[in-house]
Amino acid sequence: MGRIRISIRDVSKTFAGGPREVAAVSHVSFDVGDKEFVAIVGPSGCGKSTILNMFGALIAPSDGDILVDGMRVGASPPAGVGYVFQKDTVFPWRTVARNIALGLEYRGVPARERAARVQAAIQLAGLEGFEDAYPATLSGGMRQRVALMRSLVADPEILLMDEPFGALDTHTKLQLHAELLALWQARQQTVVFVTHDLSEAITLADRIVVMTRRPGRIKLIHDVKLRRPREVITLRESHEYLAEYGEIWHTLGEELRGRA
Amino acid sequence: MRDRGGRAVLLWQIGILVAILAAWQYLTGVKAISKTPGLYWIDPFFISRPSAIAERFAYLSSSAVRLTIWQMALSTVESTLWGFLVGVSTGFAAGLLLGRNDRLARILEPYIVAFNSLPRIALVPLVTMIFGFGLLAKIVLAWTIVFFIVFFNTFQGARSVDADLIHSARFLGATEGQILRSVIVPSALAWTFASLTPSISFALIGVVVGEFIGGESGGGLGYLIVQSLGTLNAADMMVALLMLGAIGIVMALGIRQLESRLLRWRPEYQKP
Repeated sequence: MGRIRISIRDVSKTFAGGPREVAAVSHVSFDVGDKEFVAIVGPSGCGKSTILNMFGALIAPSDGDILVDGMRVGASPPAGVGYVFQKDTVFPWRTVARNIALGLEYRGVPARERAARVQAAIQLAGLEGFEDAYPATLSGGMRQRVALMRSLVADPEILLMDEPFGALDTHTKLQLHAELLALWQARQQTVVFVTHDLSEAITLADRIVVMTRRPGRIKLIHDVKLRRPREVITLRESHEYLAEYGEIWHTLGEELRGRA
Repeated sequence: MRDRGGRAVLLWQIGILVAILAAWQYLTGVKAISKTPGLYWIDPFFISRPSAIAERFAYLSSSAVRLTIWQMALSTVESTLWGFLVGVSTGFAAGLLLGRNDRLARILEPYIVAFNSLPRIALVPLVTMIFGFGLLAKIVLAWTIVFFIVFFNTFQGARSVDADLIHSARFLGATEGQILRSVIVPSALAWTFASLTPSISFALIGVVVGEFIGGESGGGLGYLIVQSLGTLNAADMMVALLMLGAIGIVMALGIRQLESRLLRWRPEYQKP
């Protein structure tokens, strides 16, 4: 692991939910290195999205420290951090091109440079011909592609992704996995990717943080030993992949049995 | 292009109009007891007849009258549009402000509810007393109604902005001002637009009520209606009513046009 970009130190988070407090995350610590792809996996309600939201300053930890590039995360999103939500957050009143241009517009990038960068992003995402389409006419996969390009066009050094492909069908999902891996390889970003889908985590990540059920603690941090570049379709049939899967599945299974 | 089904609908619509006019004209001409003068199955004294209305319309459009029907209609349209514009812009601004400011909304809530539950017609004499008998009083009346309709809708819209859209904007580097312009205003607009069609009808109501008591200096079709009541002239009254109906339709169509342009991103306006 190279330089440490994100560091989470003994963080706990309790939500005041009605009469009693709900502990979502309990004493979690780990680091994310530069240009590393880390996936956080766990059963639903394990606090994995909560951790991501704390990285992005959407919620504050109840206890412990979160450092991004050595700085404590304050009230607003740290600079150079992009976020892709699980929910469709493409602006429905903007066309595809104008959605992708958003981050550049906000930062006051001149129109000519903006147009060039947006055009490049559109080509990269295979959205040619849809520049002037409104999101209502696009499929879920295309909308999520727009959301991804919208985050990437601003060139964030750290990309936080909260189950971005959770609502998509398997075929579209695999296609987007391949695209995401290609983009990540080309752009050398640091990615933290939350998912409940173990195969997705193994396909994409360098390291997998496996969480326990609520209150979420770290059950296991697993290094994925699969070589890169990875071919998402054939990868699933390889022995290495199945070995990785079996290993983590065993640990995750303990968690699931514990719930009964 | 209008498809075949659309043309059939249009034909039916015209057919119904012709049938109503024909029945109206015929039934108001049939005597109840033959040869007894003045006794009709349906008395044209109360509802007039299409032919008589057309005659009065021609007369009221001619230069023989001091104030033509077109001048009156113009006065009504002008006050309605002004009341609508002022009402929509102030209602929208207030809705946004209170929709994004919980504390202010809580403080002002009882006043807003109280004023809104006041029957607006009760304000007519007061507004007339303050603003006189002219255009201004009519605009103010339309405004008092339109403001609240637009305000409540925009308020709801501004409150129900998807928090994740705001978060996304913030991650993309938006300032608070940019979030207002690029997220909150467009998403509240969809709600505001839902209130525009009722708003224009209510603006027209406010104006006509103002004209009822506004007298000749206020002018307008409402004045023609009240004047016709004084002279028991059903034909003139019908001319005014039909004119108001036509104005209402044209204004509603205009709003629909505007809406389909400004909200063209909505699924219902997307071509299949």
